[in-house]
Amino acid sequence: MSDYTVSINDNKHLLKILSNGKVELNGDNYEVELSQLSNFSYLLKVNDNVYQVTSEKLNGHDYNFAIDGYSYNTTVRTNLEEKANEYLQNKAKESGTEIIKSPMPGLIVKILKQVGDSVEIGEPIILLEAMKMENEIRASASGIIKSISTKENNSVEKGEILLEIG
Amino acid sequence: MIKKILIANRGEIAVRVAKACREMGITSVAVYSDADKSSLHVRVVDEAYHIGSSVASESYLDGDKILALAKKISADAIHPGYGFLSENSQFIKKCEEANIIFIGPSSESVEMMGNKTRARTLMKQNNVPIVPGTTEGIKSYEDAEAISLEIGLPVMLKAASGGGGKGMRKIEKIEELKSAISAAQNEAKKSFGDDTVYIEKFVENPKHIEVQILADKHGNYIHLFERDCSVQRRHQKVVEEAPAPTLTYELRAKVTKAAIDAAKASNYYNAGTIEFLFDQKESFYFLEMNTRLQVEHPVTEVITGVDLVKEQIKIAQGDKLTIKQEDLKILGHAIECRIYAEDVDANFAPSTGKIKHHRLPSGPGIRVDRGIDIHSDASIYYDPMLSKVITSGSNREEALARMTRALGEYQIAGVTTNIYSFQWILNHPLFVDGHFDITFLDNKFINLLPGKWKKDLDKKYENVAAILSAILKEKDSKTKAFKRECKPENQWGKDNYE
Repeated sequence: MSDYTVSINDNKHLLKILSNGKVELNGDNYEVELSQLSNFSYLLKVNDNVYQVTSEKLNGHDYNFAIDGYSYNTTVRTNLEEKANEYLQNKAKESGTEIIKSPMPGLIVKILKQVGDSVEIGEPIILLEAMKMENEIRASASGIIKSISTKENNSVEKGEILLEIG
Repeated sequence: MIKKILIANRGEIAVRVAKACREMGITSVAVYSDADKSSLHVRVVDEAYHIGSSVASESYLDGDKILALAKKISADAIHPGYGFLSENSQFIKKCEEANIIFIGPSSESVEMMGNKTRARTLMKQNNVPIVPGTTEGIKSYEDAEAISLEIGLPVMLKAASGGGGKGMRKIEKIEELKSAISAAQNEAKKSFGDDTVYIEKFVENPKHIEVQILADKHGNYIHLFERDCSVQRRHQKVVEEAPAPTLTYELRAKVTKAAIDAAKASNYYNAGTIEFLFDQKESFYFLEMNTRLQVEHPVTEVITGVDLVKEQIKIAQGDKLTIKQEDLKILGHAIECRIYAEDVDANFAPSTGKIKHHRLPSGPGIRVDRGIDIHSDASIYYDPMLSKVITSGSNREEALARMTRALGEYQIAGVTTNIYSFQWILNHPLFVDGHFDITFLDNKFINLLPGKWKKDLDKKYENVAAILSAILKEKDSKTKAFKRECKPENQWGKDNYE
């Protein structure tokens, strides 16, 4: 039996899994029943309502759910993991490293900066081609480029780390 | 009689054409690129041929390759779908010369309608109202200035051979005109090899309403009423419906007559669409004619009961139209939502990947035209439209309720889609009352990106999502995940259960 913190957008929800199919969410108790229909779909009963849910596990903590045409990205951590994560985030803020990831899959057309160059927030750094469109990937922070982990003509996946600004 | 049709397209429209062929007992042939090896359109036809690499210019846009294949396999007709070769008059000419039936209009009709100043001239001569402005290219700055002031600012500069916003400029102040003309001409020259630019009055907050017509090779013309396609983002249609919710009986009579006049003026045969802009005073103007099947054709099929693809095939083989205008009635209401693989909140960036899970909505009043199935890929090479959900009802309210239900039932995993964003659109008061215009999404939705548009919506199932997250995490820590997976390489009779 563990306690969990679920983050959806900017909201944090506190959950306890109780025995006999009960769950405590932000202090209120709910009766729940879950059955898995396939790798990607569930039937979930919460109190008297039944929901058909499409579910995709994105990585260890992150899920995407579609419920009745609505879509949710959630991050779930045990309270211990949540504390560790907060600690790491604060650390990263202190050291001031900004990691830029690819927002979509595509082809790196051009890298406009080199390691050691200084960049201003909003400045284009990489041109990425996806679906015949060129997209500018811009600096999300000002600073010096610490490392670049991709090359021109590389194809990249969504979420792949492209570079670090320090 | 056409016996074998090569479908020179991909995705949902290739699947749609194949279905019509199947019903008519015609052999259907698909062509596919490297990226489309396992796409749905390859699986639903009688024959399929690989025609080149994933880049469209080396496959679906390579008219010579497609024509050579058609001859080799003795196809007697080519259906172009929409996009790709569908409005390429050079390609149509080559089909005509090779004696292969092009399921579409003649190359002359396409040429007439493809050049905007020619089309505008033709419409004016035939009393089809056009947006006030010139019917020929700008000759001198002095002329351009005089005309702009006469019709009143703001005006639009548009490229005669244009499309997709290239060579287009909006002029608010007369001082901007001079530099805008040369900029638009340069852009037009670069994009279309033709620097002809003309002037049109800028129509404020118009509705986009288009009329579907059918015409045979014997001079018979009918219209199949209109569609309202005003829900657009950056010139891309997102929701379409028929009939147009705010159109009066009198205006419908006028605009459908104008559409038929437009088709007659270009000696048109095939299915075609005449697009009009309706201003706030309910005057309407000819915008352009699409000389092909449209993405949104199903809403018309649903409210008229006419299969437009089958009619196209019959017209192409020389049959006379058997449907009479007086037989056609509007049967209820239909709405279409285009499902795109895109991340709305990442500025509509296309999303790619393998479709891992796909469950279609079903039940009364629901139709899905799709180009995907489980295990097919949404690739970076083509348009990210995955499918179209079309719902119908005895009235708009019922069609809308069914759309909400259908989108709720539709399950796709593997790529990010725009399904959630329809909750915002379909529930917006402007959409509900029908008085939206083409600026609706650009003015009301785009500024809520990223994420702000779902602030109120999110509450509905946020608790459910939170509960499920925790339960799955708890399950994960205790048991192994559900193991058996249906893989495409699994074959019947092979014992490979885990």
